[in-house]
Amino acid sequence: MADELDLLRRANPAPADAPPFADRPLDPHGERHLHRLLHGPTPSPGRPARPRPARRGVRLAWGLAAGAVVAVTAVALLLGGPGTPPAVAAPRPLVVRADATPVSLDRLAERAEAAAADGGPALRRGTHVQSWSLGMSDDAPPITLPEERIVRWTADGRHTELVVATDPRHPGRPVLGEDEDGNPRQVEDGHVITDATYPPSWSDAPPASRPPHEAGRLRAYLEEAQRTPSLDTSRLLDAAALLLDNWTLGARESAALARLLADTGGLRPAGEVTDRLGRPGQAYVYETTGVRRMLIMDPATGAVLGLETTFTEAQPEYGVTAGDVMEYSAWTR
Amino acid sequence: MSNDEIFAAAYREHYWAVSRYVARRLAGHTGEVEEVVAEVFTVAWRRRAELPHAPLPWLYGVARNCLANAVRGQGRRRRLLARLGNDDAAHGRHITSGPEAEPPGDWVHEALARLSAKDQEVLRLTAWEELGVDELAVALGCGSRAASMRLHRARARLRSEIDRMGPPTAEAPHAPRPAATVDATPAKEHGHG
Repeated sequence: MADELDLLRRANPAPADAPPFADRPLDPHGERHLHRLLHGPTPSPGRPARPRPARRGVRLAWGLAAGAVVAVTAVALLLGGPGTPPAVAAPRPLVVRADATPVSLDRLAERAEAAAADGGPALRRGTHVQSWSLGMSDDAPPITLPEERIVRWTADGRHTELVVATDPRHPGRPVLGEDEDGNPRQVEDGHVITDATYPPSWSDAPPASRPPHEAGRLRAYLEEAQRTPSLDTSRLLDAAALLLDNWTLGARESAALARLLADTGGLRPAGEVTDRLGRPGQAYVYETTGVRRMLIMDPATGAVLGLETTFTEAQPEYGVTAGDVMEYSAWTR
Repeated sequence: MSNDEIFAAAYREHYWAVSRYVARRLAGHTGEVEEVVAEVFTVAWRRRAELPHAPLPWLYGVARNCLANAVRGQGRRRRLLARLGNDDAAHGRHITSGPEAEPPGDWVHEALARLSAKDQEVLRLTAWEELGVDELAVALGCGSRAASMRLHRARARLRSEIDRMGPPTAEAPHAPRPAATVDATPAKEHGHG
C-alpha cells in the first residue's frame, strides 16, 4: 500500500509538467512585471503594485475593489465633511425602455457588418473605460468605486496609463477613491490614482496581440486570451470585456464581435437604454444564478458601449441587495 | 552580480514554481494566481537583499504570507462568487493534471483538509513542492529539527485520516490514478532552468 506522502504526491493539482503553470520561459505578463520591478515605477511600501490593465472579467475587477476596502468603515466615508455633496451613492441599474421593438443581435450584427463595409473607425491599441466597481469588506457595507482609465500606446512600444477617480454623472463632486495604501477615502473629482509610463513591451499572445476582424478567428483569439477551450455566453462576455480593456475596436472588429455574440446565443434582446455616459444603446441580457449581465451596444454600428452586472438576488450576509450593480464598464474612444 | 541581477535570475528561474505553489493553494481560482504571484515577487523585490543562495524555499515562505493576506482580504468575495457560480470552480475549470488523468485525488484532498492548516502546509511543501527537511525549515521559518518533527507528526495524522475514511489504498476503486501512472515520479520542483 502506498504511503500517505505518495498518495498526496499523486493528488498534486498543479504538476510541474502540466499547463498552465508548467516550467517554461517567462510569459509576457511575467516579463512585464519583472521589467517593472527592475526599472520602476517603484511600488509603494506595504502595497505591492498590481497590474491594473490585466482585468479578466468580473473576478479580478472585484479583486481590485475588494482588496482596496479592507478595514475601512464606510460610515466615515459616506458622511464626509461639509461642502459639496459627494457623489458616493451607488448607481442603480440602467432602465430598459421595452416599448420599442428590440433589435435582434443577428440584425445588429448585420448592421455592424454594413457599417464596417462603409469604412468607420480603425482599430487602436489601448483603451478608454469608465468603470464603477462594487467593493466589499468584512466589516463595512459594500461601496462603489468610480474610475476612468486611459491607456495609450506609442509607436515605439511604450504605453501610458492614467487612472483617475471620477464619476461623469456628477462632474466636479468628490468621489470615492483610494489612498496610497489602497484604502478607499473621499477624494476630489479627477484625483489621480495611477499615472505611469511603461517601457516598450511586445507580445504575440492575446489579448496583447492584434485582434482579428473575422468572427471565427476572433473566437479562437478570445479563447486563448481567456485561457479556456470554449466560450459559452458568460465567458464570452468576460472575454469581450477583456478585449475592450486592451483595445479600442475598429468598425471591422466590432462587427466581428457582434457576429460572434449573435452566433453564440444566450443574450436576449431587452430594448433601448441610455447608458451612463448618456449614449443611446440596445440592451442584451444574460441571466445566470443570482446575477444579470447586460451588454449595451450601439444601435447603428454594433459597437459594444458597456457591460453592466447586477445582483438579482439579495445576499444579506454580504450587505448586497437585489438590484445592486456589481460592476459597470463603459468603453469609449 | 548585484542584488538586482540576482533577483532577476531568481525570478526567471522560479516564476513558474511559485505560480504552481500559489495555484495549488487556490484550487479552482486560476484567475487569481497571476495577481498573487505578482505580489510575491514584489515583496521579494523589496527584500531582495535578504535573498538566500537557494531562493526557492524562501520564496515559498514569502508566497505563504502573501497567500494568507490574499485569502483574508478576498475570502468574502470568493465565497459569494462561488455561491453564485461565477467562478472557475463552478465552471468546472479546476486545475487537473491533464486530460488523461482522473480527477486529482479528491478523497486525498478531503483527508488533507481535515488536518490543521500547519499540518497541511508541511505536507504540501513536502509532497507537492518536494522540499527536503532543510528547505522545509527555510519555507516555514523554523529550525530543521522542528521541521522534521512537524512533518513526522503531520504524516501520522494524515495517515490516520486516510485510514478513518475507509479502505482507500492504491488498489481501491477510488484510487486517484490508473496503476500505470502510480509509480511515475514527478520532476523535482526547483523551477525552470
